[in-house]
Amino acid sequence: MNQVTHKARILIAKPGLDGHDRGAKYVAHILRDAGFEVIYTGIRRSPEQIVAAAVQEDVAAIGLSVLSGAHIELFGRVLELLKGRGASDIAVFGGGTIPPADVPRLEAMGVAAVFTPGSSAASIIEKLDKITAVGA
Amino acid sequence: MQDARREGPTATRAAGRLMSLLDNQPQRLSELLAVAPDEADTPEPDMVLGITGPPGAGKSTLTNRLVAEFRKRYPDERIGVIAVDPSSPFTGGAVLGDRVRMMDHALDDGVFIRSLASRGHLGGLALGVRGVLRVMSVIGCKRVLIETVGVGQSEVEVARVADLVAIVFAPGMGDSVQLLKAGLMEAGDLFVVNKADRDGADALYHQILSTLSLRPVQAHTPHGGVSLLDQCQAHGGEPGHDEPGAQKTEVSAYHLMQPDVLLVSALESHGIEKLADALEYRAATFGQTWRSQRRQRIHDDIRDAILEEARDRLSTTLGTNGTVSEHVRHILAGGETVQSVAAKLIRRAADRQEPIT
Ligand SMILES: Nc1nc2c(ncn2[C@@H]2O[C@H](COP(=O)(O)OP(=O)(O)OP(=O)(O)O)[C@@H](O)[C@H]2O)c(=O)[nH]1
Ligand SMILES: [Mg+2]
Repeated sequence: MNQVTHKARILIAKPGLDGHDRGAKYVAHILRDAGFEVIYTGIRRSPEQIVAAAVQEDVAAIGLSVLSGAHIELFGRVLELLKGRGASDIAVFGGGTIPPADVPRLEAMGVAAVFTPGSSAASIIEKLDKITAVGA
Repeated sequence: MQDARREGPTATRAAGRLMSLLDNQPQRLSELLAVAPDEADTPEPDMVLGITGPPGAGKSTLTNRLVAEFRKRYPDERIGVIAVDPSSPFTGGAVLGDRVRMMDHALDDGVFIRSLASRGHLGGLALGVRGVLRVMSVIGCKRVLIETVGVGQSEVEVARVADLVAIVFAPGMGDSVQLLKAGLMEAGDLFVVNKADRDGADALYHQILSTLSLRPVQAHTPHGGVSLLDQCQAHGGEPGHDEPGAQKTEVSAYHLMQPDVLLVSALESHGIEKLADALEYRAATFGQTWRSQRRQRIHDDIRDAILEEARDRLSTTLGTNGTVSEHVRHILAGGETVQSVAAKLIRRAADRQEPIT
């Protein structure tokens, strides 16, 4: 059979109250152009909504665009909810306005990758290829 | 499999995983879904509804409203949504955005939404739809709504999976008229003119009615939409009259039943109850027919799978035995025809192969 292999499914969400989803949409599009199947969930999503959607969609990774400064709380909550649903194997990554000083702490919490506004498309793809290759 | 049928937070996880496995390896369906062959115990949805129509017509918004309406009517019954969006033909990637309009239900355990990329499959449906549908049935979804991509032959394709098809139109879209002309009217059980809050919706509604040569009939059906079941009875399809079995009568009524045409605004949530009534009326009337249709379709799917397998095997044989070019000479000389050669080669190939069972 002509089995075509497909790249991983990734959910992109924009938690928080502000309506700026340019960053989230940008990442969604570069991922699509790299062959990923991106489930885009839109703005103002709660961690509960994001995790529930990710579990139903069985994505390999969740990408959060955080501009509110509440990244520690948000990532912490998403990781905790994933654990509660037996879905800790879903990787979590993020971007937005996250100060470099907070990155080690996020990584220690279990966040797989943090991208800064300066990250190139190529570096994002390379990293996500790696993250989603595990257990695919 | 057993995990997916249980209740609780990890059940959804199991169901989601199972869908992925089937999406990537549909041939493992039977192995993965190995349930006791006790038919009574195997749950089946009451209704599998295909929702199709041009891009931007409001399919996702409407689906979101229908889900809310059915959840209100049946708080204890699960509902599934399969939302298909196109894959990029260039990169194979996709942005699946239908869910954006359905996030109202993200926290409702009674609603299972799954987005699929069409993965280059023509016809607007992903190959994985059948597998997802099976899992949704097994986890007890009583209603499943399938939103197709808004292009091409999706009306026809979704009709092979769904019990009934709703085609969604909206005013101000040039291609609505094209779709009407293209003979797709036969594919729809319901025609939904969405964006009733916009100019031109009324005109489109009447245009569809006249294309179908229907007159708006009020009060003949419980939902007050347009339905000509009464006309089919006037044509002599009186139940139980000349048909030996009840089922057969129902089938003939099924084929005679005219489509419903409804005007709704998904955005403002107008007309959704009437649409749900129309759907339920059909489910109540044709539920039995749908069940036998699903079985017939499985027959067809098996046949298609056999044909595909046979095609693969034959082309391998033909590719290796090298006698084809010899036959070309005979055909050119006039001693054979393409058909006679084909018949000969098929017989030969079949002799060498194990029979396909
Ligand atoms: N005015 C008005 N706009 C609507 C209505 N229903 C949907 N829309 C808008 O139409 C646009 C497309 O709606 P969707 O539900 O995404 O349409 P769709 O058919 O699912 O689109 P695709 O999946 O991309 O083919 C959105 O901006 C909706 O808000 C309606 O009843 N009235
Ligand atoms: Mg849509």
